[in-house]
Amino acid sequence: MTTRLAIASLAVALAAAGCATPQQKDYAKFMSAQPRSILVVPVVNKSVDVTAADYFLSTVPIPLAERGYYVFPVNLVKRTLEDDGLADAALVHGADPTRLASLFGADAVLYVTIERWDAKWVLVQTQVTVEFEYAIKDGKTGDTLWSEKRRMVYASNGGNQGGLLGAIVAAAVTKASPNYMPLARQANATALAYPGPGFPAGPYRPEYKQDWTPERR
Amino acid sequence: MRRHLTAAAFALALGLGASGCRPPTMYHWNAYDERLYAHYRNPQDRETWVEGLKTTILEAEQQGRKVPPGVYADYGYALYEEGRFPEAVAYFGKERDLWPESRVLMEKMIRNAERRGTGQAGKAPAATGPAGALEGK
Repeated sequence: MTTRLAIASLAVALAAAGCATPQQKDYAKFMSAQPRSILVVPVVNKSVDVTAADYFLSTVPIPLAERGYYVFPVNLVKRTLEDDGLADAALVHGADPTRLASLFGADAVLYVTIERWDAKWVLVQTQVTVEFEYAIKDGKTGDTLWSEKRRMVYASNGGNQGGLLGAIVAAAVTKASPNYMPLARQANATALAYPGPGFPAGPYRPEYKQDWTPERR
Repeated sequence: MRRHLTAAAFALALGLGASGCRPPTMYHWNAYDERLYAHYRNPQDRETWVEGLKTTILEAEQQGRKVPPGVYADYGYALYEEGRFPEAVAYFGKERDLWPESRVLMEKMIRNAERRGTGQAGKAPAATGPAGALEGK
């Protein structure tokens, strides 16, 4: 029984660490487009949590830039879009990606849609379910270069368990003012991990063009 | 024994979590994500956001670390909003010089700032906002 629990917690930890199982994805289009810069546009939020979009928009630039890409100034971009009558994220997502890209001189555009983001508080256990979709589209052709759809469930084990997941969920535990920042960071880190569901490094990383070969597909 | 196994698995989980497969960051972020989130949740507290950008730039420059992409530009935009156009142009220029990928956008912003700056010439000086106040420090 305890052994099973140990194995289960290890499995959860591996999944959350996001560096476990490399997935097979076709990076041929991504690599031939070779984007150097990524425009992050406002996040579409289909969840019931009104803060979810802000959590995601705030936490996406760091891991993206740290992957070696130039990330456009998020606040300036948001304000500029608002001035152009594109205050609504759904409108931005519906616009032609090549027009958006040329407006800012971006090589590619990152779209994030939150499908689900909710927390359940049951006795001593807290469970947060996050479901989201990412897509990077080519600024020249509008083609999708990379996409990732993923559903993650974070649960506190109750009792006095600590650890990374414990901390992530514990932060979200307070019903009155949940802090989803660690959870949003973790979700982005997992989705962008490479090898894994993410994509090869950009020009500002030393492994640029060396972490992908056509044979590896 | 079983307890030991649990402890071992847990320690491993912690270790993975702590390392998170993440090397130290390339840029000096200065809690950028938390600041941006706070700014969106609480837009009327603009001063904290702008001060944070300025601090990030100063600290990065002092420590000889690279200012993250977008930070010079967002700070330049704060100056622009306050009508401090020559300073805005300087920061847009810094972004463009550090990140050639930003050239198209930054040259647009520089043209806008210069146009509005000329339009304002001869008028009363623009109100000093938080970005301007920091400039004087």
